[in-house]
Amino acid sequence: MRDDAARSSDAEIVRQVLDGNVNAFESVILRHRGLVLSIVKKHVPEAAIEETAQEAFVRAYQSLPTFKGTGDFSQWLSSIAVRTGYDYWRKAYRSREIPISALTDKHSQWLEEVISQRPEEALDEREHQMEAREILNWALGKLSAGDRIVLEQVYLEGLSVQETAELLGWSKANVKVRSFRARMKLEKLLRRVKDQGRRGR
Amino acid sequence: MRFRVSENESVKKAFQDAYSTKERGETGEEWQSQVMRRVRQIGPLSPAASFWPAFESMVWRLAPVSCALVLVLTFFFMNLELDVDSDYLGTVAAEMEKPSLVELFDLEG
Repeated sequence: MRDDAARSSDAEIVRQVLDGNVNAFESVILRHRGLVLSIVKKHVPEAAIEETAQEAFVRAYQSLPTFKGTGDFSQWLSSIAVRTGYDYWRKAYRSREIPISALTDKHSQWLEEVISQRPEEALDEREHQMEAREILNWALGKLSAGDRIVLEQVYLEGLSVQETAELLGWSKANVKVRSFRARMKLEKLLRRVKDQGRRGR
Repeated sequence: MRFRVSENESVKKAFQDAYSTKERGETGEEWQSQVMRRVRQIGPLSPAASFWPAFESMVWRLAPVSCALVLVLTFFFMNLELDVDSDYLGTVAAEMEKPSLVELFDLEG
């Protein structure tokens, strides 16, 4: 019931904007700012969150005429936010502005420790998150923009192939192939981190 | 079967947790004003504006097909044995054999 109400008022706002009331778009920002930011912040570095979220809303505004009022507006907007994040990395790779921090033995030790843990053993999250994040950022920085986005959606977000294909506007076959390839690359990179620790000892 | 680091449940969970709590993302009033400023610069959306996004997406959808077509045609023409000189001569000879209008109607004075 609440979803229907939200959907109908989203459609109403979209109609107002399309009728020429530009200021009505402010309501779209207010209602969906949290959603767009939560997506964008996962995909881009902290310094680029605000700009990318801004870009996502501007793109959404420009694409409003293509929104079919029958669908879910949040989903439509999420798709634009994900693609804007993807475009951020495409540009960054093109201009080679990817900060890749070097990893140390501390990271390989962490990886060894986590591997030797049993899944039911609880991780001390606060302590481990820093290392996990640094390894993840390093590994993602080594992948292409396409491999990166698909790995984020499928491996890290746990979305299905179908959902990822819809979000990115790709074919299912493309998502499957990319996902497999990206996971193989991640595997290679993680092995490298693990082996680096063994050599260091 | 070979052990995969990335498929290890603990490793995967650690990465997923780190990813989901990756960065803080809060914006203020100023941020919203900036978005609206950019939106106002674009101005009201005209129906014509809807043509371009649709056109753009169509172009991108057709791009792989066009590339494949260019490759196929390039391959085809590279393997086509064209003898330009003999073709040209053949055309000229055929033209010469055709009676001209003047001859046909015996218009020559």
